[in-house]
Amino acid sequence: MVDTTKNTKLFTSYGVSTSKTVTPEMAAKLISKAKRPLLMVGTLTLDPELLDRVVKISKTANIPIAATGSSKVSLADKDVDAKYINAHMLGFYLTDPNWPGLDGNGNYDTVIVLGFKKFYINQVLSAAKNFSNLKTIAIERGYIQNSTMSFGNLSKADHYAALDELIDNL
Amino acid sequence: MSKLTTGSFSIEDLESVQITINNIVGAAKEAAEEKAKELVKAGPTLFPGLESYRDDWNFKLLDRYEPVITPMCDQCCYCTYGPCDLSGNKRGACGIDMLGHNGREFFLRVITGTACHAAHGRHLLDHLIETFGEDLPLNLGQSNVLTPNITISTGLSPKTLGEIKPAMEFVEEQLTQLLATVHAGQESAEIDYDSKALFSGSLDHVGMEISDVVQVAAYDFPKADPDAPLIEIGMGTIDKSKPFLCVIGHNVGGVTYMMDYMEEHELTDKMEIAGLCCTAIDLTRYKEADERPPYAKVIGSMSKELKVIRSGMPDVVVVDEQCVRGDIVPEAQKLKIPVIASNAKIMYGLPNRTDADVNETLEELKSGKIPGCVMLDYDKLGELCIRLTMEMAPIRDAEGITAIPTDEEFTNLVAKCADCGACLLACPEELDIPEAMGFAKEGDFSYLEELHDTCIGCRRCEQVCKKEIPILNIIEKVAQKQIAEEKGLMRAGRGQVSDAEIRAEGLNLVMGTTPGIIAIIGCPNYAEGTKDVYYIAEEFLKRNFIVVTTGCGAMDIGMFKDEDGKTLYERYPGGFQCGGLVNIGSCVSNAHITGAAEKVAAIFAQRTLEGNLAEISDYILNRVGACGLAWGAFSQKASSIGTGCNILGIPAVLGPHSSKYRRALIAKTYEEDKWKVYDARNGQEMPIPPAPEFLLTTAETWQEAIPMMAKACIRPSDNNMGRAIKLTHWMELHKKYLGEEPEDWWKFVRNEADLPLAKREDLLKKLEAVHGWEIDWKRKKIISGPKIKFDVSAQPTNLKRLCKEA
Ligand code: SF4
Ligand code: SF4
Ligand code: SF4
Repeated sequence: MVDTTKNTKLFTSYGVSTSKTVTPEMAAKLISKAKRPLLMVGTLTLDPELLDRVVKISKTANIPIAATGSSKVSLADKDVDAKYINAHMLGFYLTDPNWPGLDGNGNYDTVIVLGFKKFYINQVLSAAKNFSNLKTIAIERGYIQNSTMSFGNLSKADHYAALDELIDNL
Repeated sequence: MSKLTTGSFSIEDLESVQITINNIVGAAKEAAEEKAKELVKAGPTLFPGLESYRDDWNFKLLDRYEPVITPMCDQCCYCTYGPCDLSGNKRGACGIDMLGHNGREFFLRVITGTACHAAHGRHLLDHLIETFGEDLPLNLGQSNVLTPNITISTGLSPKTLGEIKPAMEFVEEQLTQLLATVHAGQESAEIDYDSKALFSGSLDHVGMEISDVVQVAAYDFPKADPDAPLIEIGMGTIDKSKPFLCVIGHNVGGVTYMMDYMEEHELTDKMEIAGLCCTAIDLTRYKEADERPPYAKVIGSMSKELKVIRSGMPDVVVVDEQCVRGDIVPEAQKLKIPVIASNAKIMYGLPNRTDADVNETLEELKSGKIPGCVMLDYDKLGELCIRLTMEMAPIRDAEGITAIPTDEEFTNLVAKCADCGACLLACPEELDIPEAMGFAKEGDFSYLEELHDTCIGCRRCEQVCKKEIPILNIIEKVAQKQIAEEKGLMRAGRGQVSDAEIRAEGLNLVMGTTPGIIAIIGCPNYAEGTKDVYYIAEEFLKRNFIVVTTGCGAMDIGMFKDEDGKTLYERYPGGFQCGGLVNIGSCVSNAHITGAAEKVAAIFAQRTLEGNLAEISDYILNRVGACGLAWGAFSQKASSIGTGCNILGIPAVLGPHSSKYRRALIAKTYEEDKWKVYDARNGQEMPIPPAPEFLLTTAETWQEAIPMMAKACIRPSDNNMGRAIKLTHWMELHKKYLGEEPEDWWKFVRNEADLPLAKREDLLKKLEAVHGWEIDWKRKKIISGPKIKFDVSAQPTNLKRLCKEA
């Protein structure tokens, strides 16, 4: 078991409120419990190791994917429910209760993020953090302070292991 | 009481006394305001103030393009009531909420950028009037519309240096008003900060226009010249055997004196003068109106400042203003490079030698008694910098000074790495330095080498390394070969787009048959590396877009070559035409990019510029397919440039780092009532497609940015052929870079003639099968389905007041 709750070191802070750390098991539980979850993936998922796990998460838990950046290239032939959308626009739409969502069935209650540079996803999520009740769960290699919940800072190997553990618990 | 004006007059009874008044503060502007009001055709907003654009235009834009606030911090610490925790949109002790506070933060950036360009313009204007006189004509090439941004704001069309003064005063006065609004307990509504930011953006383009037109006229820069000379660019172009003077910043005023001194003393082939950032662009425009063989060079963008100093190559560094690093003096001092501060905006705490004897100052600097000095007298500056460079070079050469470690030092330094990860956490680019160090220990340097192009040379990593490893030097060491090969070409900044070019392209742009104008501008805070902008420029050039460029973006595009060893500037013409790569000039030349769009409205469509910002912007938003790209925007100036584009209806895509500006402008594509305009012929509402879908947003990768920009060039006014061309490019680019065709292409189809020709049949099938549209298969026509009708003579506008029956 990987302890994903320990290292929450930051170089700079966004201030008073930072995300709670979660274990892979807890993250899996929260994801399974969500009524309308969305898996938001960034371009770092072009890394085959991450890509493989994104596909597994989406398929195992039956979660649609918002493929941001240029991540859609590698997801196009993976038989997952993935749609391209710009991350910044998605970050905004997620704060709008009237957004019909990627499938026309309404906004989401839980967003799981993976595959971003820290500075970018923190910034994109800061809209949701301040101006909505959306629950965001970061399962990144780095600690994402602006999500509601996050893994701590991990080594590459531990990150892959944590994701595998999460998948096993879905 | 009659008002004093400039001029001469005598006082009764004192017949031999004559008093001459040359300048009364504000008088020129006051007189100009009176004159402008007499313009019969002027629009409603001559000499606008904080409120002028708000209701008539800005709020209309902001209703569709909603401010998206992404705070950088939970806290506000702006006044002594605070710090206040505003997270979750709480209100602080003063009553402002998180939205308002962040609106203020964004606005503060925009007015700071505006002030930078305006102050730059003021400095040049005063200096050039002092040197050349008020009557120096604004010779900018063969055009009638010379200053569209000035004209829109003030109604004036200055023809000499002196006639620019009222516009300069106008910008300065409004900036003071704007700055006052950020005081605690002033404006608190986010939306009004946005409106004020947009206004400031419009002022910024006036300030930039002033800066550039005065230097183009007085310094004999290329004047709307598509064949401006090609300039050598890159660290590899510097001949290390020659003394090297390195100039950094944005204001070329002082550098012209150095170049004059070099020319007078026949030193142009005996030493190197090269620059970083926009000073570099402008020094290579100096006296190039006649396309003389250039000798000055460009090293590159801001991110190379520290790297160049660490290389030890410069013998003297001169800084002027804007985007100059704060650690140049301590860094240069370590390598015995004297630093001359040539502009009062950056004095670095150095001793001021403006009034001292040049010979004495030279000795002080050579001996290292002082690490540098302030020198504000340009005549002395020219002499001092050149003589110092010539004399420092042999001294520094003899000592062989560089910060780049030897092979042995390198091995030892790499071995010291404890894999603690502190540098990775500190690096703003999130470069995996520890991993690269690990591979280097095993003799594989490729990982370190790969970091070089993405590294912005900020040295945040070095400061946290407990093992005191000079990480930047380590990266630069392995990149030595790469750096030696950094040799490209950039076309010297050619200045504004001429009236003739606008006349030739206007119709194509408004009909959409020229697929769009792509403006690549701004700084080098790229997410992945310098080459991003090259890839983007190349893709659009191949597709016959007009690619205009300025600043660091213009440089980085020229750094790379194709298989035949050719740069993009060699492969594509420099004219404002289909498939042209148009380097307009430095940051301040950005005013000519908005100017080109404004000139389409003025020259091609005969719209009034004077005091008519809303109508001009409305025209651009609905008809001129243009999209900006500030891929590495880092500065406050970049935010004001972009915001100035936004108020004019020009969308811009920024790189991921620019999410840290805290504010984007994004439309809800799913809210149908946001996508309606009026038909100016009768005032009736007409639905339009959701494009552009943003005025300001970020993309995560250059591959994502390309289709976004192609899509953002779609405009309601496109004719069938134009729409088909634009859809073709967007759909192809989306497929190429994002792996599949876009989902929402059908929203842009008004009838079958809009469909990309090569795929018409296939797309008709999709319209029928997926979207339930009715198709007449015999005639290959759409019978029903589209929500938007096509009418070639419709006149889309967001301004009800422009409609005939309104
Ligand atoms: S300006 Fe307002 S929110 Fe900011 S510190 Fe002062 S009281 Fe608090
Ligand atoms: S100098 Fe380069 S590697 Fe070091 S922190 Fe800055 S960007 Fe990262
Ligand atoms: S901070 Fe220094 S010791 Fe730590 S990983 Fe980076 S280079 Fe190595």
